[in-house]
Amino acid sequence: MLRLDYHNVLIHSVLTERFSGAPPVSIDQTVSDFDGVTFHISTPEAKTKILVSLQIRCFQDLQRYGADEVLRREYGPYVVPPEPGYDFSILIDLENLPAEQEARDELAMKVALLKRNAMAAPFEQAYQEYYQLKQEAAKFTSEEAPQGVREGGEVKAIHYREEEAIYVKASHDRITVIFSTIFREETDRVFGKVFIQEFVDARRRAIQNAPQVLFRNDPPLELQGVPGVKNTGTGEIGYVTFVLFPRHLTPQRMPIVISQIQTFRDYFHYHIKASKAYIHSRMRRRTADFLQVLRRARPDSEEKERKTASGRTFKVAG
Amino acid sequence: MSQSLRPYLQAVRSTLTAALCLSNFASQTAERHNVPEVEARTSPEVLLTPLTIARNENERVLIEPSINSVRVSIRIKQADEIEHILVHKFTRFLTQRAESFFILRRKPIKGYDISFLITNFHTEEMLKHKLVDFIIQFMEEVDKEISEMKLFLNARARLVAESFLVEFD
Repeated sequence: MLRLDYHNVLIHSVLTERFSGAPPVSIDQTVSDFDGVTFHISTPEAKTKILVSLQIRCFQDLQRYGADEVLRREYGPYVVPPEPGYDFSILIDLENLPAEQEARDELAMKVALLKRNAMAAPFEQAYQEYYQLKQEAAKFTSEEAPQGVREGGEVKAIHYREEEAIYVKASHDRITVIFSTIFREETDRVFGKVFIQEFVDARRRAIQNAPQVLFRNDPPLELQGVPGVKNTGTGEIGYVTFVLFPRHLTPQRMPIVISQIQTFRDYFHYHIKASKAYIHSRMRRRTADFLQVLRRARPDSEEKERKTASGRTFKVAG
Repeated sequence: MSQSLRPYLQAVRSTLTAALCLSNFASQTAERHNVPEVEARTSPEVLLTPLTIARNENERVLIEPSINSVRVSIRIKQADEIEHILVHKFTRFLTQRAESFFILRRKPIKGYDISFLITNFHTEEMLKHKLVDFIIQFMEEVDKEISEMKLFLNARARLVAESFLVEFD
């Protein structure tokens, strides 16, 4: 499993099972996802009415950037007032499902993508801003463009984890996405550096059309004056910048680019952990090899069978 | 094996073989004690001249002989941050299992990454030339292992980065 899925596998499998026509049962499940997101699937009223709730720590940020519209667009008829303790809820009535199997699968996938859709709002807004700015910028040559057009839109901050955030900024020729990521320990920091270096180099070496990736330990210039960005100077926090170019910014590419870029942080950390685990098991194996070599230094202690002249054997007492 | 590694290991092997000439020797300062003199350092007359064999400024071996024990300390090559982490992790892994390694010292002496302490009781129980073989093989393989792990890490990072970015293409 090299890549992470965009949707929540557990929700998807629960819903697919329910939609397949199996007899309704009561469900009460709490599902965790990356970035401290919690889902709650339950059937509070009747077994045929499934309530899916989402709790996400940056929901206020997302609402500010238009999450409500995006979610209403995606889940229109299913939206219900949020369950207490959660930020957003949808209710699916099993008696009112679409008739065709394909449409049902699509609905299950759509619900499983709840987190992705909620997080997509700021990105979609940035796309819209980019289209606007591009139109405005087309009226000017690059030198005489007014300040606002040249600098681009405001920086949208999504504080999706306790100490980490995503910043999105649209300009007339690109969208910049900045991840601040924290490394708890030295090993993670060093491994992270190796991984990030390959992200930076990949564009130069293999994939010319990939977004440009930049890495630095102090906040990039785009984030100057953004509240909550501090320069600790310890190198503990890293800033990974993705620059999306016009070829990534077409409306056709939008859904996949947004999905992919959201998984970056989890993907990145997941592979750091996986490498650590592999190296650990490798060291364990190697240590066992060394022990084997050392054991060879011990002379064989097994007794040779001693025989008398007539060929009889006897045991040595004690 | 590279050109400079062979004479380096050969020198360590000869020195160790010569140094591992140990006999039982009870402590002269504490009655009814029998301690490795190289660690106790209570009687200077039973300590022999320590010897450092260096391949370069980053790789060296310190051999400290005494009448009933020899301490061998190895400094493993660490060219960069990654190798430093890997060496640190690996030696910690080994020293945590020092119990089953018999001759491994729980803590390396200052300036080195890993130390072995061989006493006369070890040489009585185990074959001396095999002990030397073990140390030499350890030195050979630890370098190989570290560089392999580093290569693995780079290869994985590359694969991971490319398969992530190719989605944008």
